[in-house]
Amino acid sequence: MMGGTMLIALLAASGGLFVAGAFGLVSRRGVLFQLISIEIMLGAPALAFIAAGAYHGNAAGQGMYVLVLALAAAEAALGLALYVRLRRGAAAEGSVGDSDGISELKR
Amino acid sequence: MNIAYLLLLAPAPALAGFGFLALAPFPMTRRPAALIGAVAGAAPFFIMLPVLFHCFGGGCDPAKIAPIMTLTFGETDVALALGLDGLSVIAGTTVSGIGALVLLYAVGYMAEERGRDVRRFFALMNLFVAGMLSVTLAADSIVFFLGWEIIGLCSFFLIGYYTDRPRALVGARKAFVMTRIADAALLAALLLLFLEAGSVRLADLIPAGVAMTPERQAMVAALLLVGALGKSAQLPFQTWLPTAMVGPTPVSALLHSATMVAAGAFLLARLAPIFAAAPMVAGVTAAIGLATAIFGAICALAQTDAKQMLAYSSISQIGFMVLALGLGAPGAAMAHFVIHAFFKSLLFLSAGVLSHSAGGSTAIRALAGGSARAPMAFLALAAGAASLAGLPFVTAGWYSKEAVLAAAWDAGVIGKLLWLLSLGAAAVTAAYAARLILAAAAPGAMNAAPNTDDRHSDDLARPSIRAPLVALAILALLGGVLVGPILHLLHEAHHDLAFIAVALGAIAPLLGAWVGYRLHAGGDAWLHTPFMRDARRGGQVDARYQAFVVRPFRRFKNRIARADPFEIRLPMPKVAAAEAEAAPIGGLLRRISRWRRARRPIRIRLPGWRAAEPVARLDLVGQATVSAGTFITRLATRALQPDRIDVAGTGAARAVGGFAEFVRRVQTGRVRDYLFALALGVGVLLLFA
Repeated sequence: MMGGTMLIALLAASGGLFVAGAFGLVSRRGVLFQLISIEIMLGAPALAFIAAGAYHGNAAGQGMYVLVLALAAAEAALGLALYVRLRRGAAAEGSVGDSDGISELKR
Repeated sequence: MNIAYLLLLAPAPALAGFGFLALAPFPMTRRPAALIGAVAGAAPFFIMLPVLFHCFGGGCDPAKIAPIMTLTFGETDVALALGLDGLSVIAGTTVSGIGALVLLYAVGYMAEERGRDVRRFFALMNLFVAGMLSVTLAADSIVFFLGWEIIGLCSFFLIGYYTDRPRALVGARKAFVMTRIADAALLAALLLLFLEAGSVRLADLIPAGVAMTPERQAMVAALLLVGALGKSAQLPFQTWLPTAMVGPTPVSALLHSATMVAAGAFLLARLAPIFAAAPMVAGVTAAIGLATAIFGAICALAQTDAKQMLAYSSISQIGFMVLALGLGAPGAAMAHFVIHAFFKSLLFLSAGVLSHSAGGSTAIRALAGGSARAPMAFLALAAGAASLAGLPFVTAGWYSKEAVLAAAWDAGVIGKLLWLLSLGAAAVTAAYAARLILAAAAPGAMNAAPNTDDRHSDDLARPSIRAPLVALAILALLGGVLVGPILHLLHEAHHDLAFIAVALGAIAPLLGAWVGYRLHAGGDAWLHTPFMRDARRGGQVDARYQAFVVRPFRRFKNRIARADPFEIRLPMPKVAAAEAEAAPIGGLLRRISRWRRARRPIRIRLPGWRAAEPVARLDLVGQATVSAGTFITRLATRALQPDRIDVAGTGAARAVGGFAEFVRRVQTGRVRDYLFALALGVGVLLLFA
């Protein structure tokens, strides 16, 4: 069991993690760094789930953490696959590591 | 049941025939198109026939109305309707009957044309029959004017039927423009009457027209007269009719002689009470009618082309009708309308067959030998010409012309003069009719044009050509019995002429025919006198219009368009001085003209003033007027320059474009920009939550 203060601190840390991840996602141009930022953003709710579960003395929070982990793994797998596809672009198109370079949908 | 409702069915088949032929979305060969066109175009006659008999039985008194529908505009009800009275039934039956016979004839006559053209021809002829029926049967000014415009349009299309002949297109345009001018006057008159009466019913318009103040009445009557003169090709609008003869023969027979051009006479007959109340205009009407009758007869006498002769003959004969209308005898005019429709369509149809047998030429000279080549057509032509000449007692034309002459005889002292003059016109009519017949009777080659293809020689073998000729020939000879009933139906007393007038009226055509025979026998020399040459070209009215109206107007227009208010032309000093010395005293005018010729433009220009082209000649008065006008206009509009509303409108349009340009920049295609917007949006939402 833990106190209310601890919960507030942990939720604040979770919020900070999310904002840091979002900032990284918006400010970085490299696709790989953006993927890492998304992982950080996913870590924030996971931390919030654990903290809330511990506060209420309920195991469901840890269960949700496992779900979030699975989601993060799936997301990482998809994201990396996309990244590999981008890097292996045909010679004519050139390989892309920069998310600003994939703006053809605008046209 | 009110028999007037039967009238609603009369224009319907022809209109349906037009709709089907014009709009059916599949190709049609010649035969079915002609069949549909003839059946649909002939059907109105069989609807009009029982109505006519009902009318002769006294069923037309009082007049009946068959409403179509009523449109409501604000406080005004526009009640569209067809009317049943003596006038509408007589004219409607004539139109539908002649239309049926001419369409029947056209089935045979047009048998060699291309299928597509035949379909167009019959579609337009059906539309014409429907339009003409709505003119004759109309009980309100809207349906009347609608029909009036439809027949004008059909006339335009049918004159220009041979679209590959430039003459046809020019003739069509000329006819259209000339009649449009008159139509504008008619429309103005009908609108004035409508304002006066507050109703479109002719039954209301006519009393309102009669009750108007004399000045307004004279104006309305004059406008109506102009409308009628234009459609009927009377002086001074007659020039379009001779050029309209480039259309196919059935078109000339139906539209440009028998029915459509008589629509003007019908208009005058329909609104006769208004003219009876405006004696000045009625007098002008009679004078124009008589002048046209004489003019047309002389021009017809001078023609060397059969169709042209018949065209001038139509002008002249409708002149007789207009004369009768001006004298306040609409019954006599309508009687002549009916009889003229018989014999004139007969003349055109038989002349068409004769010209086919002569290899397609319509020259009078080419008709020679026609009596041997196509004896039946020749006999029909003779019957028509006898009726046209008004041979006494044996032809229908005699009786209707007597009715017109009697109306003149009874119109006082001036009437006697009119009678004498119209008798002269009748004599000339007989002379040219005799010329036509004698030319066709003259011996000629059995095959007049061996080098042209002989495809038309079997015209008379077709029953669809023979039947109308026989029917019309009988009507042209025996139709005189109809004159009495027509006058009775229109409540007009038959004028009883003095014996001397009847005798002179009988002698005049015979005398005219004798003159025609002398002219025919005496060779062609008289045709080449300057007077006859002039008459052959219709008095060269076209050229005179061009010289006295069109060209000055164009010059005036150019002057206005080009005037440069600050351009002043000065003479070349040296030449002008020499001229002044050389000119004799008193030769002032000559000096001025030389001074004008020896001018040199010197331009004094202010910025912003520009003329499109240099002025052709010095014209102080004209330039001063124009520059004063331009100056005042500029003064008046300076306060409005630039136009603020205009500027605001342009600005609004530009603002929309600019905003779009701005919004477009948001779409960068960069992932992180979108993510940023997303995060920002979520953040804002959270703040509100």
